[in-house]
This record gives sequence, structure tokens and C-alpha cells, in this order.
Amino acid sequence: MAKYTLNINQKQVTVDADPQTPLLWVIRDEVGLTGTKYGCGIAQCGACTVHLNGNPVRSCSLPVSASSGQQITTIEGISENESHPVQKAWIEAQVPQCGYCQSGQVMSAVALLDKNPKPSDDDIDAAMSGNICRCGTYTRIRKAIHNASNEISNGSN
Amino acid sequence: MEATNSIDRRKFLKITGISGAMLAIGFESLAMDMGDDPMVKAMMAEDFIDGTAINPFVIIGEDGQITIMATIPELGQGINQGIPAIIAEELEVDLNTVNIVKSSATRKYGRQSIGGSRNTRSLYGPMRKLGASTREMFIQAAAKRWGVSADQCYAKDGQVFKKGSNSGLAYSALVKEAAAIEVPKEPALKSKKDFKIIGKSFPRPDLALKVSGQADYGMDAQTEGLLYATIERCPTLQGTITSFDEGAAMAVPGVQKVMKVTRNVYGNNNVGLAVVASSYYAALQGRKALNIKWNNAEFTGISSSRIDKELTKLENEDGYEHVEKGDFKATLDQAAQKIEVRYDLPYLSHTCMEPMNATVHVKEDGTCEVWAPSQSPQVQRQFAKILGIPENQAEEKIKVHLPYLGGGFGRRSMNDSLFECLQISQAMTKPVKLIWSREDDTSQGPFRQRTAHLMKATFDANKQPIGLQHKMISQAITTQGRPSRGRLPFEVMEGINTHYDIPNISTRFVEYKNQIPIHWWRSVFGSTNGFAHEGFMDEVAVMAGEDPLKFRKDRLKSEPRFVKVLERLEKEADWNKKLSKNEGKGMAIVESFGSIMAHAVFLKKEKGKVSIPKVVSVVDCGVYINPDQVAAQTESNIIYGLTAALKDPITFENGAAQQANFDTYRMLRMNEAPRSIEVHIMENDEAPGGMGEPGLPPIAPALANAVYDLSGKRIRRLPFDLQRV
Ligand code: FES
Ligand code: FES
Repeated sequence: MAKYTLNINQKQVTVDADPQTPLLWVIRDEVGLTGTKYGCGIAQCGACTVHLNGNPVRSCSLPVSASSGQQITTIEGISENESHPVQKAWIEAQVPQCGYCQSGQVMSAVALLDKNPKPSDDDIDAAMSGNICRCGTYTRIRKAIHNASNEISNGSN
Repeated sequence: MEATNSIDRRKFLKITGISGAMLAIGFESLAMDMGDDPMVKAMMAEDFIDGTAINPFVIIGEDGQITIMATIPELGQGINQGIPAIIAEELEVDLNTVNIVKSSATRKYGRQSIGGSRNTRSLYGPMRKLGASTREMFIQAAAKRWGVSADQCYAKDGQVFKKGSNSGLAYSALVKEAAAIEVPKEPALKSKKDFKIIGKSFPRPDLALKVSGQADYGMDAQTEGLLYATIERCPTLQGTITSFDEGAAMAVPGVQKVMKVTRNVYGNNNVGLAVVASSYYAALQGRKALNIKWNNAEFTGISSSRIDKELTKLENEDGYEHVEKGDFKATLDQAAQKIEVRYDLPYLSHTCMEPMNATVHVKEDGTCEVWAPSQSPQVQRQFAKILGIPENQAEEKIKVHLPYLGGGFGRRSMNDSLFECLQISQAMTKPVKLIWSREDDTSQGPFRQRTAHLMKATFDANKQPIGLQHKMISQAITTQGRPSRGRLPFEVMEGINTHYDIPNISTRFVEYKNQIPIHWWRSVFGSTNGFAHEGFMDEVAVMAGEDPLKFRKDRLKSEPRFVKVLERLEKEADWNKKLSKNEGKGMAIVESFGSIMAHAVFLKKEKGKVSIPKVVSVVDCGVYINPDQVAAQTESNIIYGLTAALKDPITFENGAAQQANFDTYRMLRMNEAPRSIEVHIMENDEAPGGMGEPGLPPIAPALANAVYDLSGKRIRRLPFDLQRV
């Protein structure tokens, strides 16, 4: 066991954990932010996606020891009141069904649009195919990303 | 969240008139008096609502806020809004201002289980009645106050008005008087043309929670002092433990206990070893150290190739009769031409996105708090038996939270994880969350059935079909762990359309038995039968030299709803448009769970790569609640069905499932999904059909038929690789 100071959603938290513990379980069970989900544990499904210094990473496969000192953003940290354009577009298109994959989907989409505000369908495929949705919301996710993209570029005009 | 709030935040519900209201709408089981339960400390969803319950589902606050309880497990299908919408319609309240609250699991709400695409179908009538009788109570209360007759009054937007007057009385001002009124037994229901909610798309209230990480799933249950458990189970599903290294597991920091747990699956008590620790990671490390030796030699002979052989052996059995029309066998001699082929479908895992899990706290004071991510969450009576709690105290002493479900697909109608977790918590008198790993979830079953279908068709000299046989060979779900019943088991022939106008039809079922547990999997036997039947109808149409859609239209004339769906599909999919050489199209139509669904699948081959640019769907589900959710469920079934058709099967070797996680049991992803899915809904006044499953059965055959159109290759065995056609 060792102590780690993590910067999560712009707040410092100190946790006591085995260095090999995946960041996912620390975020969920030690810090209590349960929006980040477990789906596979082997970086195959994207349910556990968080941002590390703005880049999407699979927190199930990132040891807590490699996470300290970095800016970690979870689904709880991307907006207050679901006001991020991606969240608004998700609600507008009524994307989620069971919703279990959607924290990860939203985090991947936010990271995509941060880097590429006008993604093509192929860009969306490339950025989003690491996120499995067993409920099959893919066509709505695609539509919502395009809508969010329009909203973002209109907003910045 | 709710469990840890301090007691002074608790708001008490005044329950009035429940028994009468419930009896009036014919819900005997709903009429149980819950009494007061002040001693139970668990904070349930209901404890945070302020107001008067006019019945268990409708609560009116003094501030005018109307709350409707969402009591049916929400697993993605929108039922949390769907059922309250039906009540709100008849109650004459604005759905946008109603507060929909996810309830706990308790008998006062009647049956809360979900499955068989049944809930909207079975609750549509009773919930309309409940809403309407509640509305009439308010109207009568207002009429009394005004000294006029009830027919001089009407309800609108949560208020009662006198005809000709503009000032209304809010329901909240009438609660006390309304509650004292005898519940009308036959309230007048609204006519469909006056519907303001049913049939319209309303945004779902749970989605804001689901885009921000706030929705509470079973996996997210939190309570003071929570411990985490994982279980190592036998790879061959059955087997006993010869030895294990308890010391090594206990030596892992954080591990608190190693104990045997049994999992009952269709009568088999399968033993596993639970490792309980202060964190899930520690529990997993402890599990790795267990080094269990299994005694399971008698199960290691099970393999997919052995199963294939066993199914083949049954091909000549006559089996049980389902439908016999004319004399199919006689046509075998008369036929000018015949087709005889076999279709095969594999075992599959349900693979909910949220792996199986459960949280149970057996407390020292003899009460129990449960978080039940289940399609059948009302576990009180069964838990009471195990805990030695008298049945009449089960509801009072065992409180069950109903979290959001990260998928269900039938898997969560088996409560194995809850019972495993109960054993652990009971042994420790501590709160325990049991988490199945993805590997456990994929490989431990129960599975979708593996089936074989012997399909035969006979034709006259003009290539017209004169006979059709569909003989299905499979395990049955309802006869597992017991001898065959000697008759056709429940629902095994779902999705087999015997309405085709072919003079001699024989559909039969041959029962296969083995140890692999199978369980309701989205659309169940429709998912297997639909593929074989509609794939084969395409072969018959080709033999007859007819367009497959026209073939179906011409031969389903006795079923006008089918014909209308087919005509609509023809139009919406622009079916008769000629495609280029590198394109293909296929269609299929299947009725299941009270709805008729047809899909047209379009394929395109570009630079050697096959993709699915478009799926067009038409559904006749009778009266529907929320058209956007009809579309969403159809989209969902298309992706779920395409995954089953194109991705991995569950196969067995040495008695164990060979697939474990998403690297070996792959899911359809964004880049492989159809770019466009269009859903068209038929308008009619038929009784509501199910929507959670009917979209699935026709997708695989429509896809396979499109492959034939594109490449001339006939797909009769799933799954297959779309890039190799
Ligand atoms: S849980 Fe991390 S990618 Fe699946
Ligand atoms: S919404 Fe259920 S898994 Fe994506």
C-alpha cells in the first residue's frame, strides 16, 4: 500500500492503495466517483474512459501509481448540470438506453471534439470504435457528435 | 446515495386508500396493506417524496407537485417513463411537469419483474384504469365541493374545471376529499384521439443522469463499510473442489475471508470459492492465489464438436408436433423438386454491458438491505426463507433498492448473483458487493440456446411450393434439470411463421438435452427460429423464381397486418429500385411478442470491403407509447442481432466455454454498425405489442438474404464473417 495524491476534476485527493490498483477502482471505490464504469478490465470496451491531461485513457488498465501528478477528468468533471455541448447533444438525440456505456462514450466524444471540432464519419469511427455499446446506440451517437460539432462551431463564431 | 442520508431527512408518506384503489383495478396482489415500518432504517427512494399517496403509484404534494412512481426495472427500454406516461395520460397531468421517481422493489407495486417484452402489453390496460379512476376521484371531489354533478366537471393539466368556467381546482387542493371517495370500478377511459401523451415522443427523464454519470446502477451501490467479493467458479460450470490454498489468498493484504458459495442454476448447485476483501482489486488478487483443484472429470468431455454430433443424431427423430397442415410427408414423393438444408445457430452469452453484480447487507439486527440489479427484484420472500425471517415480516425486514440496470436481455431474470452475495453477507453480517468479472459473465452462462433446423421444401412442376417443413432441434429452457414433459415445451416455436400460403406445412420440435444451462436471451427462440425460417423462405422464393418481398406479400394474404407491413417496407426501402452490381439487399419479416417486424438490409462492397450502409425497418406494434423509444428499441435489436450474426459464438472445449472477454467474444462496434437505421411505425388501433425483442429475429435472416443477393452465397450457419462473403 502507498499514498497517492490524485488531481481529479481539479481537486486534490489523497488515497491509500496498492500501486498496481487500476485507477478505475480507485476513482470508483476510494474517491466515490461512480460515473466511470467497469466493463471489461482489459482496455477493450471503453466504459472506464477518463481523460488524462485531456487525452482519453482506459482507467481499468492504468495503475494508480502512474496517475498521480496528472490532470484526471472523469464524467463528473466535464460540466455542471449536463451543460457540455456533447451532453446536450446526447440528450437531444436521446442517445442512452441502459446508459452503462455512456459515461465512456461521452468522454471519448468530448476528447474527439476537443482535438477535431469537425470530425468526418470516418474520424468518428476511428475515435469511437474503442467504446462498445451493447444496447446499440451507435447511429444516435454518430448523429449526436455531428450535432455537438455544429453547436460548438456555431458557438465559437 | 439515499442509504447514507440521515434519518431526519426522512419524509413520511401518508398512504391512503391503497387497498380499495388496487382492488378496483383488479390487482389483488397490489392490495396488500404495507402498514407502517418505522423501525427499518434503510432509506428507500420513497422516503424522499413529500406528499399524499392517493394510491401507491400517484403521490400529490402540498405544493402541487405530482409524483408518479416508476416501478418496473429500467434496463434501457424506457419503461421508467413508459408506464408513468400511461398513468399520466388518463390522470390528465402534463408529463413534462410530473416527477417520475424510480421506486424500490416491494410487493405494494404488484409484480415488478420484466421480461418477454411484456410490460407495456400487460400494464397498458391496468395502468390506464388506475390513472382514470384516480382522475375520476378528483373530479368527484371537486363536484362535491361545488355542489354540482360530476358530469358537469372535467380534468385538465392536474386541475378540475367546471364546464364553462376557467378557474380550476388543483388536484393538490382536493387530495383529502378525493382519497375518501370510493374508487370507481369502471372509470371512463379516454379515447385514442384525445391522447396527449401516448403516441408522442417525450424525452426520457433518466437520460440526464446517464450522460453525467449520476444514474445509480447496481455496480454503484455504496454503503458504510462495504466489502468487495469475487468468486472463482468451476470452468466446466459443474464440478466439486478437491483442494485450494486458503492461506495464500488470506495472505493478500486486504483479504478478509475465503468461503464456499453455491450457485443454483436450473437445479444444479454449483460450488465456487468467494474471496472477500476491503477492495475489489485485493479480492481479485486473493482469487488469483487460490489455486483450486477441481474434481470435474465427468464434465470435461463436453465440447462443441460432441454437441454437433449429438444434434445430428436427432435429425431423424419425429419430435413433438407444433403445426401440421395438410400432409407434408406425402409431398416428398409427389414433388418435382426439393430443397433440404440445415440451419445452425450457436450458444451465445447475454453480455450485459454491466457485468452481473449484487450488493447485500445482512445486518446484526436481523434486517437486510439489498441492491438488486435484477429483472425480478422482489427477492424478499426467497431471502426471508434463507435468513429465517417469517414470511409475514419479509417486506418489513428486507428492503430492496432497485438500481438502473446496465442491460438485461433476459440474463438478469436469473438472480444467481444475488443469492451468491446473500450467502457471503450472511456469513459476515457485513455489507458485501459481489462483482462478476467480464470473464465470469461471458463464460459461466447461462447461455442462449444452440439450435439446428432441418428445413425442407417441396415444389410442383411449375416451381410452386407445395410443402414446407421446419424441424427444430434444441434444448428447451423450461425442462432443464428435469425430465422432458412429453409435450411441446413453452415458447420453443416462437417466430416460426406458419401462415405462409403453402398447402402442406409441418413444424416440429425435437428436444435435445445436455448439461449446458440456457436461459431467456433477447427474443429467445425467435432469435434462432427466425433466422432459419426466414432465411429458408428466401431460398424457397428464389427456387420459385420470385422476388422475396413479393413472394411474401402474395403468400401472406390471410394476414393483412403482415401484408401492410410488407407494402410499407417496399415503399420506404425503395425495394424495387435496381441496385448496382456491388450492392445487395435482403429482407425478412417475423412476428414475435405481439409485434410484426420487417427489416430490409442493404450491403455494399467497396474496395473488397463489405459494409452495411442502411437498414430500413417497419414495425406494427399496435398502439405504442413513445415512438422514439419504438425506434430506439428497434435500433438496439438490430445491433444486438447483427452482433450475434457476425461476431463470436460461445463454443466449448474440455467442458469449458472458450470465450472470456471482449477480445475473444467480440461485439459489433461503431465502425461496423449500419450508418443509417430508419424505423417506420404502422398506425392502427390494435392492442399494444412488445418492443424490447421483436426487432431482433428478422435482422439475421435479412442480412443473410442480402449476402445471397450480393454474392450468391447462402448463409445457413451463424455466425459468419461479412468480409468473407
Ligand atoms: S473497463 Fe476499461 S476498457 Fe473496458
Ligand atoms: S446504452 Fe447500454 S451499453 Fe450503451
